[in-house]
Amino acid sequence: MNLSPIEITNLVKKYGDVTAVADVSFQMNPGEILGLLGPNGAGKTSIISTIVTLEKPTSGQVCVFGHDVSKEPRLTKSLTGFVPQELMHHGYFDVEEILEFHSGYFGRLKNKEHIDYLLKRLGLWEHKNKKVKQLSGGMKRRLLIAKALVHEPALLLLDEPTAGVDIELRESLWDFVLELKAKGLSILLTTHYLEEAEQLCDRVGILQKGELKVLGPTQTLIKDLTQREIVMSFKEAAPEIVSHFLKEKKADSLVFSVPAKMSIGELLSSLKIDLVNLKDVQIHEGSLEDAIKKVLHA
Amino acid sequence: MLSRRFSMPEVQARTGDLKFNPFWALYIREMKRFLKVIFQTVFTPLINASLYLLIFGLSLGKSIHLANGLSYLAFLIPGLVMMSVLNNAFQNSSSSIVSGKFAGDLEDLKVVPLSSNQIIWALSIAGLCRGLFVGLITFLVGEIFYFIVENNLLTIANPLVLLFFLIAGGLIFAQLGITVAFWAKSFDQVSAVGSFILVPLIYLGGVFFSLNGLHPFWQNISKFNPVLYLINGVRYGLLGRCDVDINLAFVVCLATLILFFILAMRALKYGNFTRW
Repeated sequence: MNLSPIEITNLVKKYGDVTAVADVSFQMNPGEILGLLGPNGAGKTSIISTIVTLEKPTSGQVCVFGHDVSKEPRLTKSLTGFVPQELMHHGYFDVEEILEFHSGYFGRLKNKEHIDYLLKRLGLWEHKNKKVKQLSGGMKRRLLIAKALVHEPALLLLDEPTAGVDIELRESLWDFVLELKAKGLSILLTTHYLEEAEQLCDRVGILQKGELKVLGPTQTLIKDLTQREIVMSFKEAAPEIVSHFLKEKKADSLVFSVPAKMSIGELLSSLKIDLVNLKDVQIHEGSLEDAIKKVLHA
Repeated sequence: MLSRRFSMPEVQARTGDLKFNPFWALYIREMKRFLKVIFQTVFTPLINASLYLLIFGLSLGKSIHLANGLSYLAFLIPGLVMMSVLNNAFQNSSSSIVSGKFAGDLEDLKVVPLSSNQIIWALSIAGLCRGLFVGLITFLVGEIFYFIVENNLLTIANPLVLLFFLIAGGLIFAQLGITVAFWAKSFDQVSAVGSFILVPLIYLGGVFFSLNGLHPFWQNISKFNPVLYLINGVRYGLLGRCDVDINLAFVVCLATLILFFILAMRALKYGNFTRW
């Protein structure tokens, strides 16, 4: 039996009168990176919080590897690593002590080899004797990731892991996430950086006001939900064309907006343009951002 | 790639022993936490206890004569020892949780496979250890004062009884600290419980005065204060004499321990781990 790392069924989470998550259901595929996207307040963090039992569902069921998180929380937590959105301090303890304690909470009191690996892999080795308040924002973020991986989980939950992180570190974290995926980890990611989602996620789900509007493979969603913009430049004046794909006419160029699935050949043959007069063709593919805008503004 | 249902033994084989290790990790963390700020957690209470002994034991004590023939200094020492244990046990567990809420790392305890039982016992035994540590130092300082005044040392009359009441009292107050801190929504609420409830209960529990010296009305009121039995239990263990029936003190102490354990469990279930 091939069990889903996360299976959410009719999840509802309310805070008083406010519905943060409204009847959301989805399944994660083993070994994939699934991105949850959406504006602030869409319900991304609430969903992750119910998976790690920080919040109780108002109704619905959340399962991790087939186990209900409400009924077998210790088992599901043992399989899960969680990187929260907000940074934390840890008071009097240094980086190495924090990882040792966190490892112990998962039952691994002697875990020096793996802790040393994480410290080195995440660039924290030189800072292992520093207190958290002495670390930069990026280092604090890496410490959170090290904590989440200290017990070698099978499922990793990343709640905006690169928020407030510089470009160089962000890209190195992306590489690390892909490395974890290659090792077989299933990863659920929320992010506001759409480039991050486009590069990392096998599938994305778009949330709005607590509802899961759409979920599917990233590239398929982009193709299904976006338009390609095709700009044709001409040697002489742009020809008179009647087409519902025509978006804009300039003196020597025409701008078309066509479905992402439509090829340039199909457009040209439908327009019957004199190719001798055609000087250049530029194609601008739709992006994940365009896809999200279309879903959110539908 | 992992994509199947796991049994608990399989999970423990992947991670580690979840029966004892998570508890031990949290207990060690709590011990290290108060030892890292030992001047604040141990030596400050020690100064306070020394001042009490100096002012009440040496100066005012000379003019206080107890009905049972005990010197006031001997009467005071067990009270101060227990006061140190209770205060420090409460402060250790409550400040750990409250500072965790402030720093945000209390949420860690919610997302790791620590059971409520493990959290309560790790926090309360660490609180007890700090309480006993400060209590022992208070006792040693008391012995020095006693030796100066009486040219003799206090001997422990009932060591097992003493140990029982010290341990039970420390655990009760550490679990009270857990309960209050998990329910609290601000620093103010924790300090209000300390100032308006605990300090009066401890001070009116017979640290500084004998129950027999009170008006019968206040004697009856005092009998509803569980701290009275804790302090008198320690006094019986140390001196072999106290103001209450020691059997009743045992019963009250055990009942209070069970009550506060239940309250701490409920606080973990219904209180909040979220950051302030």
